[in-house]
Amino acid sequence: MEQPFRLTSEVRDNCLVITTAGYVNNVGGEAIAAEFNRHFEKGIRHVVINLGQSRVVNSVGMSFLIEIIERLEESGGKLVFSDLDPAVEKMLSIMGLFQYAGKQKTVADALVSLAGAGKADG
Amino acid sequence: MSRRTETGTLAGHSGTPIEALQEAFRVLSGAGSLKEESARFRSVIGDYFRGDEVRLLRRTTGEWESMGGGPEGTAGALPSPAAGVAGASALEGESVRIVQRLADGSDVGVVLLRGGSGNPYTESDLITLRLFLTVFENAYREMIARRNEKDLIFSLNHRVLQLNSLIDTGIEVSKITGSAPPHHLALERAASLTNASKGVLRVTRGGRTEEEGWFPHGGAPEGGAPGSGGISTGFDFGGETYTFQLFDKESRNGIIPFDETDQLLLDALSKQVHASLENLYLHQEALEKQKIEQDIAVAASIQQRILPKSLPVIEGYDIAGVNIPSKSVGGDYYDCIPLPDGRFALVIADVAGKGVPAALLVSSFHAYLTAYLEADLPLVELAKRLNRVISRASTEDKFITGFFALLTPSSGFLETLSAGHNPVFLRRTDGTLQELILGGIPLGMLDMDFPYQSETLTLGKGERLLLYTDGIPEATDPRQRLYDEDFPLRDFVSGKVPDRAGTFIEELIADVKKYTGSAPQNDDITALYLMKL
Repeated sequence: MEQPFRLTSEVRDNCLVITTAGYVNNVGGEAIAAEFNRHFEKGIRHVVINLGQSRVVNSVGMSFLIEIIERLEESGGKLVFSDLDPAVEKMLSIMGLFQYAGKQKTVADALVSLAGAGKADG
Repeated sequence: MSRRTETGTLAGHSGTPIEALQEAFRVLSGAGSLKEESARFRSVIGDYFRGDEVRLLRRTTGEWESMGGGPEGTAGALPSPAAGVAGASALEGESVRIVQRLADGSDVGVVLLRGGSGNPYTESDLITLRLFLTVFENAYREMIARRNEKDLIFSLNHRVLQLNSLIDTGIEVSKITGSAPPHHLALERAASLTNASKGVLRVTRGGRTEEEGWFPHGGAPEGGAPGSGGISTGFDFGGETYTFQLFDKESRNGIIPFDETDQLLLDALSKQVHASLENLYLHQEALEKQKIEQDIAVAASIQQRILPKSLPVIEGYDIAGVNIPSKSVGGDYYDCIPLPDGRFALVIADVAGKGVPAALLVSSFHAYLTAYLEADLPLVELAKRLNRVISRASTEDKFITGFFALLTPSSGFLETLSAGHNPVFLRRTDGTLQELILGGIPLGMLDMDFPYQSETLTLGKGERLLLYTDGIPEATDPRQRLYDEDFPLRDFVSGKVPDRAGTFIEELIADVKKYTGSAPQNDDITALYLMKL
């Protein structure tokens, strides 16, 4: 059964990497958005969200993810999801999130893809 | 892109008022929120009126609230729109106050204040500011329309997600084996699809909770389950009641009530779990049945090895036997066993009951019988020992009836013993029948040294002996009448005197089958026929 929500983050190569565990609902979504906003204010525009330990996401949680995608898109940034459980990947796909955000198997792959995007932007 | 760049064409009245209004719409409609639009509006107006102080306020119910530029109280009262009118304005030389009603029913007020050195505001300024405020209202209307469109797309996608997840969950739940209970997955999916912040599954039996699982794990609130505002559903299966409950439906604006769709989703997922558990049960039952059938097949194979493939040739005699089990494994036994001293042991036996338990008992009976015959025990002692070992090897409702005959071929001498078995018919040459019944209780019926008795007789030329089990006289026709009632077996034995023992057996079986017709065979049919040539 899914665990209560937990979140850790780190900045690698000017990319924010947020790793979650547990149910991404209102509480989880708010926590992700708050962590994102804190780094966005400091100029971070490339973000990886590792949902590997979050097997359940509800639509309220997804609305926070959409807001992050929109803010990054408006500011020329990019979000990449990684380590997605197949069920979560399907959910995000149906909700249309991959039209504006990327997905990679691992955080390392996501960082590589963002590094490429950064060069293209630059 | 900075604010100054966005509003650049407005600065210093560089374009025509129409161009300025068009540019203002472009700038304002790009805002993502009312707060952002308000900030942009103040910038636009500030640029257009060259540094005049702009205050923006909004009221949704009673009191005005500042949206930038200072509190309303410092700039004098804002005019109130008359009933049915979207706006109101006031021009007082050094200030312009305008109120505009927005699409969401709230009012937005603008206070424009000119410094002491400037010219007083004119009617033209009032009209211009009103036009800008109309642009503000239009941009706000477009922002709401965009947001509604986004919400609609989100909502439609969510409905697709719910349907898709319902189908996927049905498939996943049906794949789950006993090691991963389907109800846990269903609870997770139900909570996420309905935006419940937590849920619980309880399995109870007779009011006692057998299992309780919360989603998320550890989500149980202190002091028990939340008291109200939740939805629930459930079903009964295998004597247990499964109950799903969801609590606290989330939204971006806090906890809201669950709706009808949430209840339908929860019901649907619960039904999927119910169907899955039933399928799992039926699957396990089928596997168990398959295993039992395999065991029966093995037992049948062993049983077939115990029964004789062929009977020995006894010089001066002809002998034939038959065994037709009613199920794949029978409880009947027969044999003709040559003994070291030249005699032959003719045996027939019938275990009470059928199937694997009966076959196991027959197997034990065969092993002990063979051992005791090799030990050359007297018939009475043999029966006594068999009674003891069978009694100890079987349950109370299991026993064996049997008939034993020791034949000395050269003389035709027979010693016989019946352990509660059907009368064995001895047909004399004159056609009379003698019933051999002396012996004792069925083997295994009582664990005691029962005093068995045997009898002796001599078989003359042409005389015949029929050993059989009750499957023959008690064979039934489709009307459930007994064969022996309509065609007494003793008459058949008396009347049939073929040249070969095999012929007698064939005709007897044919007669029984003709009588039973399409009726199922209820019992094993076994017979052993000996005739002295």
